[in-house]
Amino acid sequence: MNDSQELVKRREILKRAAWLLGGAVSAPAALAIMQGCSAKEAVPGAAGYLPKTLSADQFALIADIAEIMIPRTDTSGAKDAGVPAFIDQALGAVYDTETQRRFTSGCGEFQAAAQAAGDKPFLEQDLAARTAFVQKTLENALAEGAGPKPFILMARELTLLGFFTSEVGINENMDYVAVPGAFHGCVPVSQMKKPVYWE
Amino acid sequence: METNSFDAIVVGTGISGGWAAKELTEKGLKTLVLDRGRMVRHGEYPTATKTPWELPNGNRITQEIRRRKPVQSRTSYPTPANEHWFVDDIEHPYVESQPFDWLRGYHVGGRSLLWARQSYRLSPLDFEANAKEGIAIPWPVSYDEIAPWYDKVETFAGISGSTDGLAQLPDGQFLPPMELNCVEMDFQKRLGDKLQRRLIIGRTANLTAPLKHNESPQRATCQYRNLCIRGCPYGGYFSSVSATLPSAERTGNMTLLADQIVYEVIYDNDKGKATGVRVLDANTGKQSEYFAKVIFMCASALGSAFILLNSTSTRFPNGFGNDSGELGHNIMDHNKPGGSSASVEGFLDTAYTGRRPNGFYIPRYRNVGKDKRDYLRGFGYQGRAQRAGYSRFNDSALIGAELKQAVREPGPWGISMTAFGEILPYHENHATLDRTKKDKHGLPMLAISAVVRDNELKMQEDMRNDAGEMLEAAGYKNVSVRSDNYNVGNSIHEMGTARMGADPRKSVLNKFNQVHACKNVFVTDGSFMVSSACQNPSLTYMAFTARAVDHAVAELKKGNL
Repeated sequence: MNDSQELVKRREILKRAAWLLGGAVSAPAALAIMQGCSAKEAVPGAAGYLPKTLSADQFALIADIAEIMIPRTDTSGAKDAGVPAFIDQALGAVYDTETQRRFTSGCGEFQAAAQAAGDKPFLEQDLAARTAFVQKTLENALAEGAGPKPFILMARELTLLGFFTSEVGINENMDYVAVPGAFHGCVPVSQMKKPVYWE
Repeated sequence: METNSFDAIVVGTGISGGWAAKELTEKGLKTLVLDRGRMVRHGEYPTATKTPWELPNGNRITQEIRRRKPVQSRTSYPTPANEHWFVDDIEHPYVESQPFDWLRGYHVGGRSLLWARQSYRLSPLDFEANAKEGIAIPWPVSYDEIAPWYDKVETFAGISGSTDGLAQLPDGQFLPPMELNCVEMDFQKRLGDKLQRRLIIGRTANLTAPLKHNESPQRATCQYRNLCIRGCPYGGYFSSVSATLPSAERTGNMTLLADQIVYEVIYDNDKGKATGVRVLDANTGKQSEYFAKVIFMCASALGSAFILLNSTSTRFPNGFGNDSGELGHNIMDHNKPGGSSASVEGFLDTAYTGRRPNGFYIPRYRNVGKDKRDYLRGFGYQGRAQRAGYSRFNDSALIGAELKQAVREPGPWGISMTAFGEILPYHENHATLDRTKKDKHGLPMLAISAVVRDNELKMQEDMRNDAGEMLEAAGYKNVSVRSDNYNVGNSIHEMGTARMGADPRKSVLNKFNQVHACKNVFVTDGSFMVSSACQNPSLTYMAFTARAVDHAVAELKKGNL
């Protein structure tokens, strides 16, 4: 959905709320709701985004890993959805400094291991090699079990969170209905085009 | 008439204050309604229609929220989407002699904007338990006395639920029940077949159909967004802001002032009654006095206890109306020591549409009928079954196009539930004022000391074990029992600080929520509770508040106040 379509949709929602309230949506409320659509976040992942938590190298690495996990196919991928910038921002805002440090040092360890395995820096390897290395690192991390969450699983969790809370991630993969209007407890899955928005 | 004089003053605008305001103004009293927090009018819910992508950081709680709101963050509630409804703990400190989770929102509407909306009556079993078992003091009110008031508040608020014929959970004036989903219906059947236990859809203050009255034209039916905690622009759930305050406003009899911190009830020794309240402006610190014939304290169990303890005089050296020494004591909440979860095989061809702001409820069955345990009272469970979403792939090695395809398939079913248990009233669980510590307004801090004791610790073994046993009995897989570290307060049902009773030597309030020693002051928030039962308490506060106003106005007319 582009900006103007989004605006129209939001105006429609607002109008509906106002109608239901007998026109009683107050000015501050209306303002707050409308600001939600004009105050567009800096488009994450777009060219020109300057990472705040990660270094430029780490940012390039995490962007690549995210895109390998959720690539652009016939639908948008992680970069299209702004996942790299999301990770940079969420890492800084949501996680404590110790966890941030583990994440950034994890970037370094990942790069060192990739270089050892592929004889050149990770980002200079071809896509097949990079994909295989991400896959193998994930499998190893999952086999490890206990202990603090390994870097690659943190990166994965943030990638999924960023992608499936993004506009394209949700709208291209889920049947997100802002205002369902009803609840039906037992519906055949065959009647659903895509999964409803579960989270 | 002085501009600062009214017929009635209501302190607080949460569940109870909203009801007091509505009932007093509808009975024709010029009523001043005060809240210590900022103004919120219906519709002023800044995040209510934000989509997931309009919220920062995937709506995960940030370090900054944790830093400003360390107590509020002890629950999983505060997120970027709703944290504006939770107090800044740095600005609103209190003393925890024992860890006590005091979850609060300082704004008009209070926690009625945030509540989980579960609405259950207390039963005859609950009202009779103290007397039968010799615990604390008897309730001075019977179920039959309060039942018509439950009818009244349910009808106005709009409570949806099923009629279940359970003695321990009386039916009420319900809107149609929400639906259980397919797995919940399966669990309901298996629980009945194997363990003869009941499972019902939660009774919730969400409108599943139009209200049966025309008093709330601003309210529409629930839209099944499950974003209630942000405030509902449709008025789909009951809050003071969506329901009672608009009714009070329409009478023309309400003066509602925000940012007014009531810190003292004024007692007039000559008249032998309260004349008004002393107030600090939260922003300017300006002090004012307001006067009225009758005062309703609805500032929450701890908020009202604070004000009354801080209202000392020659007549009441230990706090307002505190002849019994029980003011601030007998703090209760609901013990929440854990629950269970399991995965459910099958049912893959079924799912649900819409986001239901409600779950299932397993009413109390322990110490009911012939069941006898080595502890008193009982507990209930709240839970839900659902299909897993994308986060099931957090710990998975699936990547690329295959991952994208897999996410589009609905995930497997899981089921989980949490136990809520009755906490007995103990005199030792109490709040007092620490006058050596002051907040930014120079007011003393509330010091709270409350823990669960033997009866709760015995009960919680059953609460955990039964939770696992029921999911096992239903044949579900990977059953795990959860043990949570519970601090009193964490269920956000704190109550009991000014209990009612027939004997003024043992209680603060009489059966009409009236201060024994000062008849023109009523306390109708959770303070009055004599026992906690195990049901969510807000509906009971509504019923007692409406009844107390009816009594107050009748007494005023008779010239008794």
